[in-house]
Amino acid sequence: MGAIVQFKNVTYNYPLSDIPAIKDINLSFEKGKFYGVIGENGSGKTTFCNLIRGFAPSFYKGDLKGEVLINGKATVDYDEGDLALNIGYVFQNPFNQISGVKDTVFEEVAFGLENFGVPVDEIERRVVDIMKLTKIEHLAEKNPFSMSGGQQQRSALASIIVLEPDILVIDEPTSQLDPEGTESVFEIIAAMKAAKKTIILVEHKVDLIAEFADEVIVLKEGQVIRSGKTQDVLSDLSLLEHGVQLPQMAIIGDELIKRGVPLDYIPVTTSQAMEQLEKLLNKEAK
Amino acid sequence: MWGHLSIKNFWEGKIMSKEKKYSIKKDFSLLALLLIPIAVAINFAGGQLASLLKLPLYLDTIGTIFVAMLCGPWVGGLAGLVTNLVLGIANPIYIPFAIVNITVGLVTGFLARNKGFSTWWRWIISMVLMALASIITAAPIVVLMFGGITSSGTSLITATLMATGTNIWKAVVSTELVFTVIDRVISFGITYLILRVVPARTLIKFSLGENYIKKGKNAAVADTEENVDDDID
Amino acid sequence: MWREKLKVVKENKIAGLYPFTKLWIVLFYSICAMILGTITVDGYPIYMILSFVIVPILAILTGIMKKVGGVLKNMAFLSFFIIVVQGILVKSKDIIITLNIFNFFNVNLYKQSLQYGLVLAFSIMCMGGILAWFFGSTDNKELISALESKGMGPKASYVFLSTLQMIEVLQKSSKTIMSAQQARGVETEGNVFVRSKAFIPSMVPLILSSITNTEERVLTLESKGFLVKGKKTKLYDVSPNGKEKIAMVSIIIYTVIIVLWRVLLWVL
Repeated sequence: MGAIVQFKNVTYNYPLSDIPAIKDINLSFEKGKFYGVIGENGSGKTTFCNLIRGFAPSFYKGDLKGEVLINGKATVDYDEGDLALNIGYVFQNPFNQISGVKDTVFEEVAFGLENFGVPVDEIERRVVDIMKLTKIEHLAEKNPFSMSGGQQQRSALASIIVLEPDILVIDEPTSQLDPEGTESVFEIIAAMKAAKKTIILVEHKVDLIAEFADEVIVLKEGQVIRSGKTQDVLSDLSLLEHGVQLPQMAIIGDELIKRGVPLDYIPVTTSQAMEQLEKLLNKEAK
Repeated sequence: MWGHLSIKNFWEGKIMSKEKKYSIKKDFSLLALLLIPIAVAINFAGGQLASLLKLPLYLDTIGTIFVAMLCGPWVGGLAGLVTNLVLGIANPIYIPFAIVNITVGLVTGFLARNKGFSTWWRWIISMVLMALASIITAAPIVVLMFGGITSSGTSLITATLMATGTNIWKAVVSTELVFTVIDRVISFGITYLILRVVPARTLIKFSLGENYIKKGKNAAVADTEENVDDDID
Repeated sequence: MWREKLKVVKENKIAGLYPFTKLWIVLFYSICAMILGTITVDGYPIYMILSFVIVPILAILTGIMKKVGGVLKNMAFLSFFIIVVQGILVKSKDIIITLNIFNFFNVNLYKQSLQYGLVLAFSIMCMGGILAWFFGSTDNKELISALESKGMGPKASYVFLSTLQMIEVLQKSSKTIMSAQQARGVETEGNVFVRSKAFIPSMVPLILSSITNTEERVLTLESKGFLVKGKKTKLYDVSPNGKEKIAMVSIIIYTVIIVLWRVLLWVL
């Protein structure tokens, strides 16, 4: 049970700010699991990601109390730039995830591998494989700046995944994308889950979190107000009072139970809901 | 005995300043390096817009000044150098004037490090100093390499002065004096406007950024990363 | 397979020369031009002017005349003015010609000033021209790759490459903003003050958004391992095309002849 990421009594302030963005967090993340992070705007989700990735405090400066441990080592103890070897980070804005020095998507995806000193033949092989996986082969010769948001985001994901990090931190990757773009991004995330990567995903689209996450963490005002198995967390309707969105199925399920429909448990995904309804209908049929 | 004079110590600021307050390494953070292309592009765009609007000015040092005020003289100087090299690719005429742009970066940066912009009257003195430094470096290039005539509109005035019998040095220096000062005043003005609207949380990431954060703004800087990033939703 | 596709393949042998070889050519040619400037016929730098002819010929042979022609024209324009201003406005000992304008006043063409103007102008044409040839025949990618193999750090390469890309992006944005301003009815014609007012509002939002984007781009670079220590690999590398020796020998012979000529003139 190796905890791959650990938060130990972490409190963090951005510079020039008295109010802590993150307060008293103690969490442990296991290798190979998929974690969803949800919470209302301003609850500290992005700061949370920055802490894992080490950007807070190294880039954002500010005050860090407590420790964030990656593979047992505190983020502040890593040499400059080394966390990139272990953790991949994808964020919201697709435009800002383009390096700005490569003319084609192929080279853009290869950029990270070049920086890691990977031999040239291996670079070519890995880039070709990842482009297949992320379905951007047809974009290989395009200029990164002349693509749609969804395409840029897929290319950003490809550029990070090709580095084969143990941990993937993904911060609201689809909030600037249209539904088609969103779908294509989540296909890739699903593939990563299948590959048993440790994934920490911040998302507003709770339905998708319900689909993929093993565990969910709920943040409010910089603190963890709930964490645990997806099933338990996302069916806890008291969370609605804290500005948290819950999956549609959970809300419907709750309403149904209130009106006397005998569901075994509150479903959080469509498939769970279907399963329950089928059971009920079969019972009825008997 | 001379070991402490090594380049490593220079880089880490152990010689240049007694308190190790400024180090070149800190100045050249990745963020500062990424600011250089923006500074160059601003210089480029400024020059282009100036000629598009047919203004009798250069406006090609705005970016240099900006980056020098935030990151110090060496980063500023580098921005100046890169600007003219890149301009030189399109038109080699600009390459000799790299010296002027580098000087702008160096002088502005050193002034910024030494509280040259902490009060309004210091701004004025610094502007004048920087304009003078520009003229001192530009005039010889214009006279000795170009015989007084460059592709800038200011040369028409220089030529007119020369036609009235003025000595070439006097003509060039007079023209430069007037137009460089105006140009720098405007450039500094634009830089001031920009510095005013850059959020404090960004300024603080630059080595000299703290100087430009308004005192009263501290209270207002409870806007954490959250508020900004979630705005996009 | 991909690497071949991405490699810059140049058919023209001169354009395909290794960037440093071309830089040597630029250096030697410029030095020769300056030396030739001191070999005058009746005070006129004839040989320097003749040596300039090499530039357009070289450009044509390299197949980049179209690219470089515009730059050469601009420089020629500037040079013309330099010659005229020097020749007419700077008094010197001898007058070649006196022109009578509108029966109103005389314009003198001074000999020494004209000659000085010619030297200045052709210094610019020769050095500027050969540099224009260099930049016209060398891709930015090639030059930076060559510099990297000589030890230029990745941060420096990054600064150059992203500058060049960013200029393209900002140029497009500034044109868009300008037309947006025009569409809003902001005056872009008119007197100096009016035009300045149009200029400033265009710049500030542009710059601000660039800076904000930069913060995230730093994170992107770090995430892509830019700060990881150790040797980086290069997917693309520039290599010599085999004609470098001939090129170097040619330019060195040219230089030696000119230097000898000058030395002989000095000695005799």
